[in-house]
Amino acid sequence: MRIIVKTFATLREAFGGRGVLYLDLPDGSTIKDLLKALRGCGSADELDDLVEGRSSVKVLVNGREITYLAGLETRLRDGDVVAFIPPVAGG
Amino acid sequence: MSSPSFPRSPEDELTQSEVERYDRQLRIAGFGRGSQLKLKRAKVAVVGAGGLGSAALLYLAAAGIGRIKVVDDGVVELSNLNRQILYTTEDIGRPKPEAASRRLRELNPEIEIEPLQEKLTDENAEDLLKDVDLAIDCLDNFETRFILNRACISNSKPLVHGAVYGLEGRLMTIIPRRSPCLACLIPRKPKEAAVVPVLGSLAGLVGALEALEAVKLLAGLGSSTAGRLLVIDGYDLSFYWIDVRRDPSCPICGEKWWIEER
Repeated sequence: MRIIVKTFATLREAFGGRGVLYLDLPDGSTIKDLLKALRGCGSADELDDLVEGRSSVKVLVNGREITYLAGLETRLRDGDVVAFIPPVAGG
Repeated sequence: MSSPSFPRSPEDELTQSEVERYDRQLRIAGFGRGSQLKLKRAKVAVVGAGGLGSAALLYLAAAGIGRIKVVDDGVVELSNLNRQILYTTEDIGRPKPEAASRRLRELNPEIEIEPLQEKLTDENAEDLLKDVDLAIDCLDNFETRFILNRACISNSKPLVHGAVYGLEGRLMTIIPRRSPCLACLIPRKPKEAAVVPVLGSLAGLVGALEALEAVKLLAGLGSSTAGRLLVIDGYDLSFYWIDVRRDPSCPICGEKWWIEER
């Protein structure tokens, strides 16, 4: 299945300025699996922190935050759009 | 060239010039003179007079907020001018609160501007906030934002939070102990960037939205973004709303202090 990943702010930079990434994952994959797959596309400490539960990055699946779904265990479906939104501090 | 002088007028009525100056907003459904008088009697602190602060300050002054504190410890630099539209090339080297005040008084001589050339700290925060109705976060780093958040919670002052990065923006209003605070939203303090990339129009957009939130809170109009984070993605101009919940164990606004006191 194909997942569409949207990266924001510092995470966008960590993935070479690409705001949208397409990843092919096995059926039944979760957010945690997606995070592992993303490691191959770019380096981002913030994503590692996310796996370890010490991050302020908001993760949305089709616009819904994963804390209202099943967290990192949220199962993905073909065509899902997953957004990773870190806090920012510019002014 | 001399400009007309406007003496400070009574707080319970609008002068003829105020009625004319605010004519277009007095015509807004649900606004009217009562709302304008609320703005006239209000006092707000704008903390940070950079890209966000430029837009927020201009719109707050134009809308007739009676007293505005401008808090910033910086001076105007050439690299500010892509986004800090309060200032001109002539202002380079001038302290920001002073240059901002001059510009805002030119825009609206019927309000009071209080320039404060200082950095917000845990020590001065209470003093800066004690006499204001609300504060607006126009800062450019996480650390000072958390100081402002803490001070607003402990002094029960509503806070309008805004931030930008590149072509992105964030906005959320904080009503102390009734809606999530900045520490509920950002439980792990992220790394500070040395310099943050910002496109001026994004700072202007978010600063203008902060002014809108402040005017609504002061005039009692509409609903605020309390408990809802607005994320603006300028690349494709999409807007995301993220529900944010209060963290009962939040070290800043959590209920623990209340339980322990009983």
